[in-house]
Amino acid sequence: MAPRLPARCWRQLQQPSSSSLLLGAAQRSTTLTRSSSLPSASPSSPRFLSHTPRRSVKYGWSTLSPRARPTRFNQVTAGLPAPTTGPAAAIKRREQSTPVRTGVLAIKKGMTAFMGRSGSRIPCTVLQLDRVQIVANKTRAQNGYWAVQVGLGERRADNVGAPMLGYFEAKGIAPKRVLAEFPVRDKTGLLPVGVQLMPDWFHIGQWVDVRANSRGMGFAGGMKRHGFSGQNASHGNSLNHRTIGTTGPSQGGGSRVLPGKKMPGRMGNQRVTMQNLPVLMVNNELGIVVVKGCVAGPKGCIVKIQDAVKKPPPPPEFIDETRRTLEERFPDAEERLTAARLKHLELKEARKEGRIEKMLSAGVPEFLQEGLDQQPEATITA
Amino acid sequence: MNATPMARRPLGCLKASLRQARQQRVFCRQLATATIASQASMGALPDHNFYRINDPKTKALRTAFAVYMATPPSPSALAARLPPAVPAKKPKAKIAILRNTTMPPVLTAPPSNPMPLLHQTQIKQMDPTGARTALFAKNRHGVRPGDVLQVTHRRGGEPFAGVCLQIRRAGIDSSILLRTHLGKVGVEMWYKIYNKNVAGIDLVKRRAKRARRARLMYMRQPQHDMGSVSELVFAWKKTRKVMTSAPAKGSGGDKAKDQAAAKKKK
Repeated sequence: MAPRLPARCWRQLQQPSSSSLLLGAAQRSTTLTRSSSLPSASPSSPRFLSHTPRRSVKYGWSTLSPRARPTRFNQVTAGLPAPTTGPAAAIKRREQSTPVRTGVLAIKKGMTAFMGRSGSRIPCTVLQLDRVQIVANKTRAQNGYWAVQVGLGERRADNVGAPMLGYFEAKGIAPKRVLAEFPVRDKTGLLPVGVQLMPDWFHIGQWVDVRANSRGMGFAGGMKRHGFSGQNASHGNSLNHRTIGTTGPSQGGGSRVLPGKKMPGRMGNQRVTMQNLPVLMVNNELGIVVVKGCVAGPKGCIVKIQDAVKKPPPPPEFIDETRRTLEERFPDAEERLTAARLKHLELKEARKEGRIEKMLSAGVPEFLQEGLDQQPEATITA
Repeated sequence: MNATPMARRPLGCLKASLRQARQQRVFCRQLATATIASQASMGALPDHNFYRINDPKTKALRTAFAVYMATPPSPSALAARLPPAVPAKKPKAKIAILRNTTMPPVLTAPPSNPMPLLHQTQIKQMDPTGARTALFAKNRHGVRPGDVLQVTHRRGGEPFAGVCLQIRRAGIDSSILLRTHLGKVGVEMWYKIYNKNVAGIDLVKRRAKRARRARLMYMRQPQHDMGSVSELVFAWKKTRKVMTSAPAKGSGGDKAKDQAAAKKKK
């Protein structure tokens, strides 16, 4: 086996001229060089093994030693099955447990009940969506995974640091109170930046997973934190009524406390996921999604709602419908983002060069627009 | 391989063109007094202000950022931006989506407390006549703790009567706690006032004097316990009979009630 090559050695050889047309080039070279010597080999028969072309100006050249030069036998993956570890394998493995669509951020508003017509009473939790917007998309190529960054609420500009002000400026979005990421299965789950998700992103009867941080209880003893039974009130007990007692065996057992022993400590304020809660009601006017059952955390806490992992996703017709609704409500999301990015670049340059004060005194909005009109739109690829 | 440097650094050429544009703009500014930007291209950019960051020591402007508005200023301007109201033909979805008739304008803050509004809609559904709401209204006509109530169940069975110890007001989830004695055993029952299982709630007897507490938990103590309310209910039923049957037989009902009250005092 030839030594493994560092990427920089063979990257140059895989320029479009040589590598992208591996099969075709292989065929061509074969026909050119061997047609005289082997006329019986049919040129149209496909070659399934990759073939590195011979040395020729046409295919580029390399000063590597013949042993180190990439061939079909010294490739890292030559003849091996697809790896079962690594980022790509991890994403593939998690495919079924990753929701198709993004979720939303919400604020827990409290609990109430739905009274059924047959006299049943369904306890439910009211979650409110406050100007939930798509802030960014995370892609496999750039970030290594697919996800949607979502923001909720609003935040005063003087409460936001300069880096984040620049971030929101580039998105054309007002500073958000909270940002959170929702993993999605693939790029079909990504959404245009700046669009707002309303409660009708969910439909009545669908299942959602709701995540929130539970109430923080502070430093709690063993009885409260782990449900230990405590100790006797009497029978000679003194000052140890709520203590946890022994924490492990004596000398024979190793005279040590086993790892993971339940002890007093910080309780609560952990992320709690309530799985498979049915959606009972969605209302755009009130901005609420009502889910059955309870959700961790106090009133006013931030909650993440996403399609349930352990239930089938919403029907594709519904997903299409929600996408279409988004397009109807925000037809110019792309243009806005482009305009905001251009403006951001302009302002960034001005900040770097210290011209921002001058620009502000000269009345920026009109001042900038003239410049932006001249920009060719095709150059905006970032 | 330096074949495509522009492809690798797309922002590089953007920078160059921006720089060029900036140079030109200065000239434009000198030549034209006021140029109005075309609305078509810049209508896309939402409204924004500038947030200035000053140096804490010198108080001079250090930098500034464009901050977009959290909520658009006027709905009319937004409506102008939205596409015409001809809806596209939609394929019929399997699941009926609850579409509100009045869609709120985009990026407006929802009501900060949606619970009362939600309760209103729920109560309207469950109590269309408003009788239950009126019975427990917070005025002098409404039931107060200390009054004796009788709850009739929808599926038949013996109605439950008892003295109201507390009213838990929670919108659609409001409930009452009734206490009585059944067979010399104290019994308390919670009833959801908007539940369909509760067919009716009758006010049997008002408390003589307004209770000065919202929760009459002291009535569980033996010296304050009212005991069984069956006699009060019996008397109340008698008066109802008198009221419903046409010939009035004096004030028999009242007498019965008085007797019952006297008996209780003993």
